[in-house]
Amino acid sequence: MIVVDGLRKDFKKLTAVHDMSFTVGDGEIFGLLGPNGAGKTTTVRMLAGLISPTAGRATVNGHALGEGSQRIRAITGILTESPGLHEKLTARQNLAYYGRLYGMRGSQLRKAVDRYLGVVEMSEHADRRVIGFSKGMRQKVAIARALLHEPEVIYLDEPTSGLDPSAAKTVRDFVATLRSLGRSIVVCTHNLDEAERLCDRIGIMRGTLLRVDTPAGLRRHGREATVRIELNGARGPESFVDLMASLPFVTGAQVQPGALLVELADPPHETPDLVNSLVGAGARITSVREESATLEEVYLQLVGEIGERDVDR
Amino acid sequence: MRLGYVLAVFAKEWRDLLSNRLLLGAVAFPALVFAAIPTGLVAFIQAHDLDPNQMGQIQQYIANFPNIPAKLAAQGFIVTNFMAYFLLIPAMVPMAIATQSVIGEKVARSLEPQLATPMEVPELLAGKTIAAALPAVTATWGVFVGYGLINGAIADPRLTRFVFSDVWLTAMATLVPLICLFSVLLGIVVSSRVGDPRTAQQIGGFVVLPIIAVAVAQFFGGQATFNMQQVLIGDLLVGGLIGLTLLIGSWAFDRESILTRLA
Repeated sequence: MIVVDGLRKDFKKLTAVHDMSFTVGDGEIFGLLGPNGAGKTTTVRMLAGLISPTAGRATVNGHALGEGSQRIRAITGILTESPGLHEKLTARQNLAYYGRLYGMRGSQLRKAVDRYLGVVEMSEHADRRVIGFSKGMRQKVAIARALLHEPEVIYLDEPTSGLDPSAAKTVRDFVATLRSLGRSIVVCTHNLDEAERLCDRIGIMRGTLLRVDTPAGLRRHGREATVRIELNGARGPESFVDLMASLPFVTGAQVQPGALLVELADPPHETPDLVNSLVGAGARITSVREESATLEEVYLQLVGEIGERDVDR
Repeated sequence: MRLGYVLAVFAKEWRDLLSNRLLLGAVAFPALVFAAIPTGLVAFIQAHDLDPNQMGQIQQYIANFPNIPAKLAAQGFIVTNFMAYFLLIPAMVPMAIATQSVIGEKVARSLEPQLATPMEVPELLAGKTIAAALPAVTATWGVFVGYGLINGAIADPRLTRFVFSDVWLTAMATLVPLICLFSVLLGIVVSSRVGDPRTAQQIGGFVVLPIIAVAVAQFFGGQATFNMQQVLIGDLLVGGLIGLTLLIGSWAFDRESILTRLA
């Protein structure tokens, strides 16, 4: 479990990160979303025991940053922004080197190297030098390196960057497996689609956390949820306007051709009642779906950068 | 300092080095050249009678070897005089390897994943330093031993004693490793400021200049070899330079500084 309390990092006069507070539970995937320079990498570097915070505290599985940093590094796996492999060495030699740095030896090391080369589908390239690898192949080896020592806490910076869709899915599935094994996982990404698919909660940040919520919670951010009800039959949507006005939980309604757009405060609980009322009044409903903002819209609204080009979606 | 980490880094660096033929050539070539030239001259003198006119030109040097035949004195002068150049190997080679290693990591951005492991920075740098220094120390010592034995074998066994003098054995045991260490540290510090190995080596080239200056001064001063006092002063001088480099480059032992400056 990661507990972050008021973390701050200054580089001379530049404050990279301030007032960062959040928790990541065991078996949770927490996404850090933010534009370039938002402080995602600095946050991860502090939590991975690589750099010291200027202020604030954090514990990683009970080990405090600072005095416990070496222990934190031992239980942490990190996929850095750039794969950072040793190009003259083979994939196997790269992994074996890092395995040794994490204290693995002998058959335990060999088995782990073979297992993770298999997990990232690189077994057949295990004895080739990294220098000849594509970007995607390097990324796979770097992922294997981050997981080799079975870390309890994992930081993944753009984990599927450079991977083809099939390999990206393999990685996402494997990360989901790690979640089921109780690992705490932090994913830094620009890829909103990936964040939505992978993360249990997402923190949108720009120097500090602007909002933390589930992907669905973020999508609902700042607006009433709208439920779109498509109708079919003799009675058009305009004939139900009075009914909508009489229902206490409906906060607004609009008529569109063949459909009603109904605003609700709590769609999961209120939608069944709404549907019952409409059916009771003779409506023939063909579909009901909640319309919410996309994560991209919420993200852009929060970071205040609509139109910025560095959003990779 | 945990030996396991140092050895892991050393083994990785060594593997990396063995795959770099150009760098290996840079280790072997100067050492062989510095040994081959005087050995060739000794063999030439051995095969030919000395010309009395030529003898006159090197008379002042031969005075360093009283009570021995002029031919052996001339060979002794050549054998011992060229040995100062052996100090160039520990000055040049480790710097080439260290800059290649550090800038290579900088370009590949491979320092951060290593710093993210439980390994401490001094352990990383110790592994790198040993890996950079060992080829030069080994090459220098190997060439030194071969040089003494071969010259003794092709000319006169007394040449071997000239080479394996107390002064030179002390220089090999102390000055060579110290120069190597200085060269590596300077290579690491310079590498942090520049983007490519060639520039780093050019900047670091000033390590070589004092040694060349000493060798040239020695030749024109008519002194055949160093004495023990000069070797010990050299040890102190290089030791001081190591201290100074460590002081200037103390950031190099800090994880955060490496990440922000090198990674």
